[in-house]
Formats: sequence, structure tokens, C-alpha cells
Amino acid sequence: MSKFGLVTKGLLKENPTFVLVLGMCPTLATTTSALNGLEMGLATMFVLILSNIVISLIAPVVPDKVHIPVYIVVIATFVTLLQLLMQAYTPDVYETLGLFIPLIVVNCIVLGRAEAFASKNSVGDSALDGIGIGIGFTVTLTVIGIVREILGSGSVFGWKFIEGDGMLAFVMAPGAFLVLGYLMVLFNKLAKR
Amino acid sequence: MDKLIVSPSPHLHSPASTDRIMLDVIIALVPALLVSFLFYGWAQLIVLVVSCVGCVGCEWLIVRYLMKRPAVFSCTSALVTGILLAMNLPATAPWWMVLIGALVAIGVAKMSFGGLGQNIFNPAITGRVFLLVSFPVQMTNWTMPARSFIEMDAITGATPLSVIKEGLKSGLSIDEVLAANGMDMSMLLRDIGGSSGEISAFALVLGFCYLLVRRVVKPWIPLSIVLTIAAIAGIFHAVDPAHYTGIAFNLLTGGVMLGSLFMATDYVTSPFSKWGGVIYGIGIGLIVMMIRYFGSYPEGMSFAILIMNCFVPLINRAFHQKKFGR
Amino acid sequence: MAAKSNLKNMALSLTLVCLVCSALLGVVYAMTAEPIRKAEEAKVAASIARVLPDFEGQPSLESVNVDGIDFNYYRAPGAGYAVISTVGGFGGPLSLMVGISEEGIIVNTVVLAHSETPGLGAKCTSDEAFIDQFKGWDPAVSRLAVVKDGGNVDAITASTITSRAYAKAIANAVSVYSKLAENE
Repeated sequence: MSKFGLVTKGLLKENPTFVLVLGMCPTLATTTSALNGLEMGLATMFVLILSNIVISLIAPVVPDKVHIPVYIVVIATFVTLLQLLMQAYTPDVYETLGLFIPLIVVNCIVLGRAEAFASKNSVGDSALDGIGIGIGFTVTLTVIGIVREILGSGSVFGWKFIEGDGMLAFVMAPGAFLVLGYLMVLFNKLAKR
Repeated sequence: MDKLIVSPSPHLHSPASTDRIMLDVIIALVPALLVSFLFYGWAQLIVLVVSCVGCVGCEWLIVRYLMKRPAVFSCTSALVTGILLAMNLPATAPWWMVLIGALVAIGVAKMSFGGLGQNIFNPAITGRVFLLVSFPVQMTNWTMPARSFIEMDAITGATPLSVIKEGLKSGLSIDEVLAANGMDMSMLLRDIGGSSGEISAFALVLGFCYLLVRRVVKPWIPLSIVLTIAAIAGIFHAVDPAHYTGIAFNLLTGGVMLGSLFMATDYVTSPFSKWGGVIYGIGIGLIVMMIRYFGSYPEGMSFAILIMNCFVPLINRAFHQKKFGR
Repeated sequence: MAAKSNLKNMALSLTLVCLVCSALLGVVYAMTAEPIRKAEEAKVAASIARVLPDFEGQPSLESVNVDGIDFNYYRAPGAGYAVISTVGGFGGPLSLMVGISEEGIIVNTVVLAHSETPGLGAKCTSDEAFIDQFKGWDPAVSRLAVVKDGGNVDAITASTITSRAYAKAIANAVSVYSKLAENE
């Protein structure tokens, strides 16, 4: 696969949300607005890239039987690091996403890429893979966030275009499932063409 | 799509007989509709018309242009959904809200699953719950019955269930709540605000009797719901009448009558067999009373039906219809 | 490719990874401890600044017991008190910071944490007509209860329970103030 392909596959062919259907917890829980979706996507991308790089470096020397614990420790380290940094320098973002940052540790996408890609490929390719999947995840979360924000609050990235509230169901959990489901249908219909 | 289309599973029914059954349901709903017009006037009629046009239009558009199978279009079934949805909404609901409800009911709850006979959840209730969650202010502002077709100065207010709930939450007993609002129990039952389906228990029962006579439905599901609610309300009210409302109050307020007679009995989303229906009914009754006594919502009929809808496939597995000849 | 999975290798690799990771985290923790503390302080200061007029110096966190419940409050010299008051709302605890001037007049209120229903009770953070009615409220003149209960607070549409809780939280804060005023 070409270097360019590694970066772009996350958007369509291996879109983590619509095709691989991984990392559903943050996808459903944090996409109440476009900005929240974008921030969550970027946070995950940060962890994904770093853990992919480190894991592709250490994979050759880690004994097979303990590779999962080792990977998890590496991922958890980066997540904690991210959490501390966010708490210190972007407290507002941390306030809204707080609960979901530690959950990146158990996000299937991160461990999934470590297992399926980073442990078998070179450092450069793994970094590109992290960027690609990260972009795919970020874009998808932002799109879901935009749709939910338009329908649920009548605004885009905080810019309001109607008076009062939208359809509040879309800001709550059921709306997350509805929007995810219909976007998945739309995505797969368009992707087939 | 050039393959042979096999219609959904109950192969015994041809589209014509579905239409006939649905027509019976509509006839059965007529008395309740008349009563609601009497109480709420033109506003209710507008809600009904918008809801029906929305449901039928949405179904037709999806069947025609998205599924491209005009043959499966059933106007009467969409009409039933439209009528039931309208009966679940306050007469003050603005037209766009009703339209959104119709869109969710048909588009999301029915057609997304494959159309007539395939849906897991009752479409009309899904539409109502979606609106209740999305527009809580408009959906909890019920018109008090005006008692005249001409008098349009509608007074809005909360339903008796929510008045009681609010009072209990702030630590009062039921009698104190009633006294504070200048009501007594009999007044609550006569002069209640609510959706059109909530005010006319007698008309609903009348319509249901017609369905029984026509042998369109069996009475097991409504019976088990009503008996369960009566039993739970009876026990709690006997133990602590200050904090738990009684049997008649629980049966006649909220959507219990409309829900148990016309919504829970929906063919597609209720169990096939008699005992399955009884289990389903008991489940609905239990959940309604749990929500009313302990939950944060004053009324739980629509949630109860939706929750039990999820269990229908399981109930159907546990209670097989007897095979012919065994 | 990978090292052999014998006990020695496994123990060694796990130990090493954990050591390196904890060392890294230790460094980052030491680096961020100060900014995190500052960010939290800034948050509290921002809330206090919203509920009290400008004042000189640092507010001090103190606590007082009123009718068996402990209340935390910030004493801002010359400006008044910022009392943290938590009551049960519709969906869960509703936590307010209530600014009360030295004279006992409510300056402003701010919601610190809540779990009210979006579109209904959650409006207590955004409904300006509701929030602004408490600015300059004199508890000695107007009663802190919703109109339905015979008070002077205009409730948020269709959210009597939240409005009631909000009024109660402020009333609690006022009782904290009275106790403090008594002591001084």
C-alpha cells in the first residue's frame, strides 16, 4: 500500500466507525456537538499515533505471551499523559470530555491498530496508519456531531441559526444511535458506488 | 430489484385482509375521536389531519421512491398510525411538531425496519416518545377540555398525573397536593387535561368492544395489563394511601386505556400466542406502575409498551403457537 | 521475530515497560501539577467573580455548619460571601454558588453542577429571565419560593421542580449568611 493510501484509507475503505465499527462508546457518547466530536477525535488520534509508533518499535522484542499487557500499558501511559496535559492546558475541553478521556484506553481502535498493524509494520508506516485512522475517526465524529448539533440544538460549531432548542432527542442517547445508524446506511450506500 | 419479492412472514394475510382489519380499527377509534373533537374542538381536528396526512404521505413517499415497491403500500395501516399518534398528542401541538412525529413514526420506527409487519416498535408510540423527549415543554402543556366546539379560549395545564407527581416530589401527601390545587379526586377524573386518547375511556372501551365482536383482537393483552395495574395500585394504595394513588385513578388517567386497548394490541409488535400476550401484558402493567410510583416521569404507558416491544421476539420463542393437530 | 516467551523474558519486558512508562508519567505529572492547580483555582475564581462584585485580595475557603449540614463558602473581604449550596434537583444534585453581599443582598448565582433534563430543568443555566430575577434579590423583602408555593420566584416553564430546588438552594445560602452575620 502506498504511503498516501495509508493516510487516506481511514476515511473510506477502513473507516473506523462506519466500516470497522470500532470505538462505539466515545462515538455515541461524546458527539453531542460538532466541537465535542472534533475534540474527542483529535484526542484519540494523538494517542493512536504515539502508541502506534512506540508499539511498532518495541513489538520485535516483546514476548508473544505478554504482548497485550505491554501494549495496554503503553496505551494507558499515553492516555494518562494526554489527560494530565489537557487538565493543565485546556481545562475547558477537559471539563466537557473529562469522563471519556480515560476510556480511550479501552477504545478498540487503539488496541486494534496496535495488534493488526503497528506490531507487524515499520515505524514510519505505523505512524502514517495512526494518522490515517485518526483522521478517519476525527472526521466521522465531527460529522456525527454536526448532524446531532444541527438537529438537536439548531446550531453548527456553536453558531445558532434558530431560536430556542432543536429536537432534544438528538442531543441525548437515542439521537446518537439514530444518527449513527442512518449515517452508516448513507455511508455504505455511497461507498458501494 | 428484479428478484421475486416474498412478503413478510404472516403469509396467511393478503394485503386486502390487512386493509379490512385496519379499517375495523379505524371504525373502533371513531367514538373516541368524536369525544376528543367535542372536548378540544378544531385544534384537535387539525392535529389529527396533519398527523394522518404526514403518516400516509411519508409511507407513500418511502415505499414509492426509496423502496421502489409500490405494491406493499398500505394506506389504512399508515392511517391507523396517524390517528393513534394524533390521539397521543396535546391539541395545542403545533403542526410542524405533529409532522415531525409522523415522520419519526413512519420513517424511523416503521419503514427503517422494512415496512408493514417488520417493525419492532409500535410506530405511533415511538413518534410520541420522540416528541416527548424532544419537545418536553410543548408536550407537557395539555389543554384542559373546553367542553364546547366553539369556545376556543383553551386553558392549558398539567395532567393530573404530573400534578400529583410534582407534589409528591416536594414531600406532600396526595390529599395535601389536591387541597393545594383546589381539587378533589372526583374532579380529577372528570375535568382532566390530557391528550385526546386520555379523556375518553368509555368511548375507547366501546370501540374495543366492536373489535372484539368483529373478532379482530383478543382481549388477553388489555385484560392482563389492566389487571396488573389494578393489582399493584390496589396493594400500594391499601398500604400507604397518602403516597400512592388508587386503582381507578391509575386506570383512568394517562394513556392506560388507549395504550392497553389499541397500542399494545398492535399485531406486529405484540406476541402471537395467548399466554405470550398475558406475559407481555403483565410486563407492561408492571413497568407502568414502577414508572408512575418510583420513576421521574409522571406517566409511563408509552415507555412500558416500547420496553415490552423489545421482549416480543423472546416471548414468541418461549410461547410457540401450538402446531395444528398436536 | 519476537523474543521467546519464557518466564525471564516476560518478567523482564513487563518490568522494563512499566518502569519506563511510570518514569515518563512521573515527569509529566511533576510538570503539569502546577498548571493543573492554577487552572482549578482560576475556575473557582471565575465563579466567584461572576457572583460577587470586584474585590481586593484572595478569597479564603471556609466552612460552617447550619442545621446539621456543612456548607463551604468563600469569604471575599469587602465584597461578601460566595456560598456553595447543593440541593436535590429533578434529575440529581443541583449545586449552586450564591454570591451574597455584606448587607445580605443576593448579588448573582451560578450553577456549578447539575443533572437536570435538557430543554426543561437544564434551562436553569441559560434562561436569562430566570437567572436574572435573583440579581439584587433581598431575601428580607421577597420570599425565596416559586409563585405556585406562595413565593416570589417566577419558575422556568414546565420545570417547577428545578425552579423550586434552585430557590431552595439560594434560601439555604441565605441561612448560611444569616448564621455568619450573627457570629460577626
